[in-house]
Amino acid sequence: MTKKKNLFIFSIILIVIIAVVIPSPNSEIDNRERKKNITLIVKMKGGNYWNTVRLGAEAAAKEYNAGVSFVAADRERDVKEQIKLVEGAIDNKVDAIILAASDYKELSTFVDKANSNNIPVITIDTEVDSKNARSFIGTDNIKAGEKAGEALVSSSGVDCKIAVMSFVKGSKNAEQREKGLNDVILKYPSIKVVAKEYCQSDADTAAALTRKVISEHKDLNAIVALNEVAAIGVSKAIDDMNLEGKVKVVGFDNAPEEIKLLEGGVIQAIVIQNPFSMGYFGVKYAVEAVEGKKIPKSVDTGVKVINKENLYLPDNQKLVFPFIK
Amino acid sequence: MKERIKKYVVGFIYRVFNSLRIRSIQFIITVSFTVITTLAILIVGGTLYNKFNRAAEENASLSTTQIIEQVNLNLDDYLTSMVQTSNLLNSSINKNPAVPNDKLLEQMSVILSIKQDIVTAAVFSEDGTLLTGFPNSKLKANIDIEKQEWFHSALYTPGSLFVIPPHVQNLFEGKYDWVVSLSRCITVNKNGQWVRGILLVDLNFKSIEQLCRRVSLGRRGYIYIVDSEGNIVYHPQQQLVYMGLKYENNDEILKHNYGSFLQNYNGEKRLVTIKTVNYTGWKIVGISYMDELIATKKDINSYVWYTVICGIIFIIAIFAFISAKISQPIKELKKSMKLVEEGNFDINIDVKGEDEVVQLSKTFNIMVSKIRELVNQNMLEQEAKRKSELNALQAQINPHFLYNTLDSVVWMAENGKSQDVITMVTALARLFRISISRGKNIISVEQELEHARNYMIIQKIRYKNKFHFEIDAPPEVLGYSTLKLILQPIIENAIYHGIEYMVDEGLIKISVKIEEDKLVYTISDNGLGMKQEVLENILSYESKNIGGSGVGVKNVHERIQLSFGKEYGLKIESELEEGTTVIITIPLIC
Repeated sequence: MTKKKNLFIFSIILIVIIAVVIPSPNSEIDNRERKKNITLIVKMKGGNYWNTVRLGAEAAAKEYNAGVSFVAADRERDVKEQIKLVEGAIDNKVDAIILAASDYKELSTFVDKANSNNIPVITIDTEVDSKNARSFIGTDNIKAGEKAGEALVSSSGVDCKIAVMSFVKGSKNAEQREKGLNDVILKYPSIKVVAKEYCQSDADTAAALTRKVISEHKDLNAIVALNEVAAIGVSKAIDDMNLEGKVKVVGFDNAPEEIKLLEGGVIQAIVIQNPFSMGYFGVKYAVEAVEGKKIPKSVDTGVKVINKENLYLPDNQKLVFPFIK
Repeated sequence: MKERIKKYVVGFIYRVFNSLRIRSIQFIITVSFTVITTLAILIVGGTLYNKFNRAAEENASLSTTQIIEQVNLNLDDYLTSMVQTSNLLNSSINKNPAVPNDKLLEQMSVILSIKQDIVTAAVFSEDGTLLTGFPNSKLKANIDIEKQEWFHSALYTPGSLFVIPPHVQNLFEGKYDWVVSLSRCITVNKNGQWVRGILLVDLNFKSIEQLCRRVSLGRRGYIYIVDSEGNIVYHPQQQLVYMGLKYENNDEILKHNYGSFLQNYNGEKRLVTIKTVNYTGWKIVGISYMDELIATKKDINSYVWYTVICGIIFIIAIFAFISAKISQPIKELKKSMKLVEEGNFDINIDVKGEDEVVQLSKTFNIMVSKIRELVNQNMLEQEAKRKSELNALQAQINPHFLYNTLDSVVWMAENGKSQDVITMVTALARLFRISISRGKNIISVEQELEHARNYMIIQKIRYKNKFHFEIDAPPEVLGYSTLKLILQPIIENAIYHGIEYMVDEGLIKISVKIEEDKLVYTISDNGLGMKQEVLENILSYESKNIGGSGVGVKNVHERIQLSFGKEYGLKIESELEEGTTVIITIPLIC
């Protein structure tokens, strides 16, 4: 009788043990598969360039099983708004932040803050003045400047007077592009830089400055515009003044207006970047950083020079005209 | 209750440890059962695991194929719709008198408003001028129509339909739509004359692109499209592909038209599924990552392992318990046997448990009681033997016999029969020497016969030659051993009861021989013999010696049987007035 009772107690103990042990592997698996929460903060809402970044980020988010939320200020130069977004992301305890910083210096303390909160920060497009950014993914701007210089030489020759339309004084990207451009120009002593202006990333300012420079230097052969907005402003002014072909333009990026002007012969060449790769690798390395893997300190996403002749080559079409939703 | 559980747990652990003693029943049962069951569980687990895996793989492959089939159907729809639009426009151009006209333009606008996917419909003349088109956009000033692929391939191959892979349509001002173009050479009524022209229909590629983008194969899988030359038509990460940051092995894909295969891509295994699209020769390529399948496999794997391990633990515990239960009564039995081994026969075990064990303990009890009986019997026999030996000892120094003999010696000495005195005293001395023979129980046949002879010499003198005797012993028997003093009581008996009251002279014959590996003494006399009832009782009953030496024939019989066993002993044959023969059988002892 007691033996049967013992057997009964014994079986119950065993069943309890088994019930406790068996479900544990499943819960482990659930934890491992949790989606990483990543915030992508870019310079502004909308715009061809940033939409392409977003496209790349979405592709990577799918591939690496991450949840990516896209936030940006309404205007590109609204640094305060961007700082608020970064702080918000830190407060939300996201797993990682991908940041296209509006300002090289002002955002550095917030990158440090995120890092001290154990949130890895990946910078894309624009570098930040902080050692705590895990990685920079973007155009090698010195190389991009060199490419612009080479495009200038091939469209205007080596004996010419040129003007440089930069965007914001002190901007890291602008400085690097100027440096790359200068490196090429210095090889050809017959190229003379007669003017260098900053349009503050405003197309109208760029147009106005262009008119001013052209009126001051009637024999100007070419203008190099160092970003999208500058290129649009410069080329519009030249189009208005009916100087297409006479004052050649080398621009940056691939806004539809620029393409139209490129086809129209106002712009001779554009240096295009690869925002898709920035978004893609930004998310990829953010995920890897969260997982504790070693990620490269910097990734060059490359640039390409597009002119009227190679615009519709199949390969270039897909870079210049990205599918946007 | 707590105490009981504690006691129980301790007891259980003790049993488990106990069961670890190799070669114990508990251990053997536990181990063999566990091994067999574990093997069975492993085999079943492994089979299930493989089955699940295969099913998972097949499912993945099947669902990928189905998804791609679906994409293919949709793509087919888009392309068919484009071809239909082209056919419709062609037939209406053929019917209409002249191009351009308002009716055709209206028709185009209707078609384009119904079919949202068609972005452009236009008719060009042979020399590349736009005859009519919708939407009514301005052609780019500097565009060279004749150099466009869709234009010249259609113009040089009349009658065929041309599908141009996705490209940016750069015909119209300010429009940069991604399109798939369909062009064909048609005849157009231009100012009353039928001339060659080109009909262009553009399908918005965005619809196809969104269709492909929405498709997901697993978590990371995707689909892309290549044309028949291996150029990428659509790829979700085509910027990466064109920047050289991602590579698709299209050569391998071009070898297949349909089906799926496994591909090793940057160390990752991918399942590639291919389907070719109508009209275009495009191939839809589905990529799904095997490691996602492997993740499912890992889930199954870990689940199977946990179940198997839990099962094994459970089984070991159960078997340890069961085997303990089986072996416990056997162990108790063993303990009791140990006591018996130590000499304690007063044991009656009462083991509860399985039928077999109860049976075993019962049999054991019976065995112990049998042993007990045997031991007691043995003790009694030993006692009897000692008693008879004591009797034999008494016979050796029978005072009556000594007294009578010495009396005869005195009598003979008085009568001056000195020769007889010498004979008698010599025989007496010999008799006693052999009788005593240093306390030994076993003597040689020769000595025993010598003893009998000396006895008979003495008696012969005492009975004044009333009988004579013969001893017949072949020399080979003399060396064998025998129990001592077995002949003398028989001879005594023969003299006192057979010969003493005879009228004639008596004869006692003693012979020894070997028969069937036994030593056989035969003592026969020609005396009075015995009655049948006396003969029957002489060996069984406690028959009293009637004026005998005090050591009966029965004593001899008992001594032989106690020493050598029941098959040996005395056999007496007797007939009244004829005589008695006593046959003594003992084993042949060297």
